[in-house]
Amino acid sequence: MKRLVLNPVLDKEFRSRMRTWKSPLLISLYLGILALITLGYYWTQQQRIYYSGFGPDIGPQIYVTLTIFQLMLVSFVTPAFTAGVISGEREKQTLDLLVCTRLSATSIILNKLLASIAYILLLIISSLPFFAVVYFFGGVLLGEIAQVFLVYLVTALTFGAVGVFCSTIFRKTQVSVVVTYVIVFFFLAGTAAITAFLVNVRPNFGGVPVIAYLNPLVALYSTFPGSFAQGLPLNFAPGPSGAVGANVTSLQPWQYNFIGDGIIIVVLLFIAVLLLDPVARFSRLKRWFKRKKKVQVDGGEISKKIDTEYTENYEGH
Amino acid sequence: MLLIENLCKQYGKLTAVDNLSLEVDTGAIFGLVGPNGAGKTTTMKILAALLTPSSGQAWIAGEDVSTNPARIRQLVGYMPDFFGVYDDLKVDEYLDFYAASYGIPVRERRMIIGDLLELVDLNHKRQAYVDSLSRGMKQRLCLARSLVHDPALLILDEPASGLDPRARVEMRELLKELKAMGKTIIISSHILPELAELCTHIAIMEAGRLVISGTNEEIVAHTRTGSTLQIRVMDQADGAALILQEELGLTEIPFLNNSLDIPFSGSDEDLNRILTRMVESGIPVISFSEGKNNLEDIFMQVTKGVVQ
Repeated sequence: MKRLVLNPVLDKEFRSRMRTWKSPLLISLYLGILALITLGYYWTQQQRIYYSGFGPDIGPQIYVTLTIFQLMLVSFVTPAFTAGVISGEREKQTLDLLVCTRLSATSIILNKLLASIAYILLLIISSLPFFAVVYFFGGVLLGEIAQVFLVYLVTALTFGAVGVFCSTIFRKTQVSVVVTYVIVFFFLAGTAAITAFLVNVRPNFGGVPVIAYLNPLVALYSTFPGSFAQGLPLNFAPGPSGAVGANVTSLQPWQYNFIGDGIIIVVLLFIAVLLLDPVARFSRLKRWFKRKKKVQVDGGEISKKIDTEYTENYEGH
Repeated sequence: MLLIENLCKQYGKLTAVDNLSLEVDTGAIFGLVGPNGAGKTTTMKILAALLTPSSGQAWIAGEDVSTNPARIRQLVGYMPDFFGVYDDLKVDEYLDFYAASYGIPVRERRMIIGDLLELVDLNHKRQAYVDSLSRGMKQRLCLARSLVHDPALLILDEPASGLDPRARVEMRELLKELKAMGKTIIISSHILPELAELCTHIAIMEAGRLVISGTNEEIVAHTRTGSTLQIRVMDQADGAALILQEELGLTEIPFLNNSLDIPFSGSDEDLNRILTRMVESGIPVISFSEGKNNLEDIFMQVTKGVVQ
């Protein structure tokens, strides 16, 4: 566990990433875009106030605009950080050197993902002052902001897992990045399109198709302050159609989203771990089978011979 | 230290390693020789627990390479033929990263890195970015990297490839130092004279198969035509040719510009008798010597015609 947390991969990734001029540039660019959106929206509202007076919903309005843009930015940035973590090592011819250390495939994959997510978290946290401005106007609760940040984190983890998975499968980073963006686009737009199609095909079915809950925008929307959340085009309240006990538990859409994303993250990372180090996968199982077979075939004579030779030659050396 | 039994590796229809069996003793410097595509790199990758064999088995210090990769990686220091470096890291950070990856505690790491940098003569580059190093320095750094966890067996795939003559000499000296430290080393190289000088044992591979293996002397003896006879005379080449025809039972002796270089498998007594007869016959001999076949000659001989 200690090796998993205080991992050299994480340390190296932080060191490498924060050392170049790209990091401060990206943070500046990211915050610059958010500042433009916030100030732009505020400016247009100021113009409106000039004619119609101060609107009490200006705070929530900026908040909704800001959170949607931030989710889009997170969705756009995450593949760029994660879709090359393994294929990049392969292209740089450093993957073999990394795999033949004592680090397990799980540790490598998890820490590569964590390093990328940590940087995305840095971007998200650095945007907090903008939310403070929104809080100043009122109309948004602190708990709602916390929920939104949780949605960002889970979305970043999901798209990050997709990126790491693609970079393990595809040898070239370019291919991995393109495929990851296609999958991210599917999560954002594809799920919405399929939902719209299913709802139109089966208008009397009731509830919402499960696939709709995979859309991070749906999760985000469900965390918005009361009046804004009611603007959803579908009735999400009864839970996903076909979900066992959905009506009873009455989970929020963002909670369904977290469950779905959690399953996706675990499955993708598990496959990535298996693919990264084919020699080590199921090694304990292989060892057990081989030992059993050897005992049956030669009574372990070869192993005994080698063990004796090793003790005599190497340990005695 | 290493035992390989009937090792095979197949990529679809291509057999990269075909029924390879080998044994390497502790402390040996084992040279793996073969043309491109002979299966050397595949064999080395299997031994470094980076590839799974299709069939057969290999044990390093008693551990099965395909079922106990974690233990194998602790026992083996692997240096691939082509490798990259992390450009954004400094030399000491690079070694520290790998030392940490092998689970070495921080305090020990500092000492190990200092020792290794001294060994590979890169102490003066400690704070330099890895990317700024020359090819030779990167090779030496990679060798240092493969030593961070003090492995019992070093697997070096073409460690001198792409190096200039000076860097090659430095690499050779470094390997000699490792040999003196008692490391067991498996090394592949195309620079055969250097391998012959360095290695205690040689194996020649071709098309995935083992052609010949043993100590240098065993291989020379096995190839029978282990030496050549080199003679140079001032004149009377015909007279010298006549003596050689009688002594060696040959029908034609190809003197060229009063010089001769022919395969010879006779004894020292035979050599002495031939020289005595030439001198007694008044043939003005300038030089008379036996040339031993080197590894390059043997390699060409045993792999001739099979390499595509």
